[in-house]
Amino acid sequence: MTVLRLDGVSKLFSEAAAVDRVSLEIARGEIFTLLGPSGCGKTTTLRLVAGLERPDAGEIVLRDRVVASVPRRTFVAPHKRNLGMVFQSYAIWPHMTVFENVAYPLELRGGRRVVVRERVARVLELVGLAGLETRAAILLSGGQMQRLALCRALVYEPDLLLLDEPFSNLDAKLREQMRVELKLLQRRLGVTVLFVTHDQIEALSLSDRIAVMQRGRVEQVGPPRELYDRPASAFVRDFLGQTVILRGVVKELDTMRGTVTVAMEGSLAGSTLRGRSAPDASLAAGAAAHVAIRPEDIDVTISATALPEDNALVGTIDALLFVGDRYEARVALGGEQRLLLLLPRARECREGQRLQLGFPPDLVSVWQA
Amino acid sequence: MFCSGVLAVVAFGVLFPVLLVVAESFQVAPPGQPAAYGLDGWRAALSEPGLRGALLNTFTVTFVRQLLSLPLAILIAWLLARTDLPGRHGIEFAFWAAFFLPTLTVTLSWILLLDPEYGLVNTWLARLPFVGKGPFDIYSFWGIVWVHVVTGSLTVKVILLTPAFRNMNTAFEEASYVAGATTFRTALRITVPVMAPVILSVLLLGTMVSLQTFEVEQVLGLPFRFFVFSTMVYDLLVTRVPRYDAATALAVLVLVAMLPLVFMQQWATRRRLFTTVTGQFRNQPHRLGRWRWPALLLLLGTMLVVLVVPVAFAVLGTFMKLFGFFHIADPWTLGNWKTVLTDDLFLRSLRNTLVLAVGTAVAAVLVHSLIAYIVVRTRYAGRRVLDTISWLPFTVPGIILGLALLWLFLGVHVLRPLYGTMALLVIAGLISGMPLGVQIIKSGLLQLGSELEEASRIVGASWWTTYRRIVLRLMAPTLMAVGMITFVGAARNIGNIALLATSANRPLSILQLDYIAQRKFEEAVVVACIIMFISLVGALVARFLGLRGSVG
Repeated sequence: MTVLRLDGVSKLFSEAAAVDRVSLEIARGEIFTLLGPSGCGKTTTLRLVAGLERPDAGEIVLRDRVVASVPRRTFVAPHKRNLGMVFQSYAIWPHMTVFENVAYPLELRGGRRVVVRERVARVLELVGLAGLETRAAILLSGGQMQRLALCRALVYEPDLLLLDEPFSNLDAKLREQMRVELKLLQRRLGVTVLFVTHDQIEALSLSDRIAVMQRGRVEQVGPPRELYDRPASAFVRDFLGQTVILRGVVKELDTMRGTVTVAMEGSLAGSTLRGRSAPDASLAAGAAAHVAIRPEDIDVTISATALPEDNALVGTIDALLFVGDRYEARVALGGEQRLLLLLPRARECREGQRLQLGFPPDLVSVWQA
Repeated sequence: MFCSGVLAVVAFGVLFPVLLVVAESFQVAPPGQPAAYGLDGWRAALSEPGLRGALLNTFTVTFVRQLLSLPLAILIAWLLARTDLPGRHGIEFAFWAAFFLPTLTVTLSWILLLDPEYGLVNTWLARLPFVGKGPFDIYSFWGIVWVHVVTGSLTVKVILLTPAFRNMNTAFEEASYVAGATTFRTALRITVPVMAPVILSVLLLGTMVSLQTFEVEQVLGLPFRFFVFSTMVYDLLVTRVPRYDAATALAVLVLVAMLPLVFMQQWATRRRLFTTVTGQFRNQPHRLGRWRWPALLLLLGTMLVVLVVPVAFAVLGTFMKLFGFFHIADPWTLGNWKTVLTDDLFLRSLRNTLVLAVGTAVAAVLVHSLIAYIVVRTRYAGRRVLDTISWLPFTVPGIILGLALLWLFLGVHVLRPLYGTMALLVIAGLISGMPLGVQIIKSGLLQLGSELEEASRIVGASWWTTYRRIVLRLMAPTLMAVGMITFVGAARNIGNIALLATSANRPLSILQLDYIAQRKFEEAVVVACIIMFISLVGALVARFLGLRGSVG
């Protein structure tokens, strides 16, 4: 069942489109993430859903109810949408206690005093804030404020929970912890979540589905694995995770198997790499191409006398950085081409060592240059 | 060492005169007689009906002023800062300009409209059927309150509250909408309570200013023997056989009443830190919908009352043969301007005002920037004390400061030759302008950040070179603005210098007061208009230099 549908929604800020014809569907019970660099329109999209901004085009439907529609000239005010929202700054009302912050939305809904008390206690218990009811809200720590903001957004069982970069004000340790807590909580309550972040780790680890946004548009929608393994565009490929990119010229196309063979250039002239063709790439023999692979997918073998095998290159470690749980190795492929690899700590590595780098063909993608 | 020197001079200038006032309240011998100490002054202040009445009047006027102006100011600030009200920027600017109208000028304008006999509003209303006589009387308690509300009380609150409302983290309100509250409910339950510390702070500042009121009561209260403490002090000192002990005792009582306000104000200022949070989204104005036009009407009406009417009628008044008499045949003349502009007395006063204003402005920029720099940038142990002392004059009513300086300059032998010179008035202006000047420069320095200076030191510049080439250059607009503000303040200053001015150093502001005392309203209003003109031009220049009403 669809909880939220955006249909060609646009928002202009002084002529520039902050959100540009965005269409999305969010199913009940899923964590759906809008991911992108700052200024890509993800927060504006969230605010359009919340009703804090009015769209300039398109339609927003919440559970079969049109809440904003430019063609139909309808707009439902935010307080009539029954949404929960956690703000980036938490927006914990400083003049209220913990209890009052959470009770406020219930009071607005005309809840009886006893019921309000009971439900507030239950939701505070859920996130581990029980017993802090009478504490002044501004005396809470960052992590506690975040939990409180979550309580306040969940206590009235909204149709959709909106999260606007909720972890960005926490330190790294707490952020990881809250991530796990949030996911567990969501699985337990089954609430539908629309989550906005610029942090790919957060997006990949929390989401059921992700929409990657850039310049107001949705670049690709899909589950995290799919986006990571099969990015539909160069932007998605480079935004999510690390990518090694090598330049070359298309030598041979195998349309039957969907593979492309690329002849390397410069110092790597003579070697070839084979991989699958990227989506929408129109490649012809002789055209310039980019060969892309995730660094962790490269098969690294240490061998002093390495002769390149099929679909492999030879390189030398020219800088080795020990970063604790692993090595970061900069590998020179002869001449100007270099790439950064992560090597396990267990490996015996040293600078100047020769490596053989195997490129598994089904993990290599070939893009138009 | 240098910093301690500055602290000592500032402390001497601010604290010593006040202590002198306290000491003098126990000195009961008449002037010229050997000193004798007793409690007669205090007895008089606490028991004589006239004196006690003046004290009571001070608090009543203050209370009623605040009660009427605060809710209206909150509403206006909210409309200007948080809604899509048409023309809000222009209206905010109008309030800013109105803030700079000299109180006495505005008072004269309202006399034209609300005088019980010949006031225009009254004569118009009298023509209506069933209205025998105009119902308004400016020479009354409510007349005084009205003039106060439409001058300082309202405008200062609006220009202080509007930026504060604008800087509030919008997420507080948005969280409330999303939680299910309407705009009205959110304003009541979230916006105003979240802003409560700021509102309290502004209210306390307003109350302190109210307690210092002088010229309105001097003009409107005297005709019906209505005194507040400041006019009573003035009365005790100048018009009869001077009663220094009673006057100073009265002054000390008001100073004591100020103390809790000072502490509460400091407390409220600390509390409001949490209301502005960084990392906020763009400020999305509320849509007023069908309330747009009623709200606009309300604000335009307010502007009419606080700005348009006072300016228009002050100017109109200068062209009247008999001030306020609209009904006589051929009431208009250019004679007043001719009389005043060719009067030797006026020209001397104008020169005095210009010397006073320029001198005070220059001195203020130097002294205030020095104090601000020490407070913000150095690790000097006494910088907090210096900060507090520089703020103290705000709580000292002008008339008390004047009195204190009078004692200082008449009492200390080496300083006596300065009495009657411009230097004395400049010192008074410097001290009374100190709180605002230091605050503005301080916030400018804080925004500047210390890295810019440190970078200059690192590349090899000395402290003095850095101060000249980096700090002063970057701070130039702020310092100019402070200079302009002080210039305006000095030009219109009355309360501070009413007791200090003599015929030798009398500036325009005191000249107009003297004209009024002699019932020469025609001349007074011409002088008032000239002061208003100086004020508005100075305010515009300061605004152009980048000053905004974000102080306090």
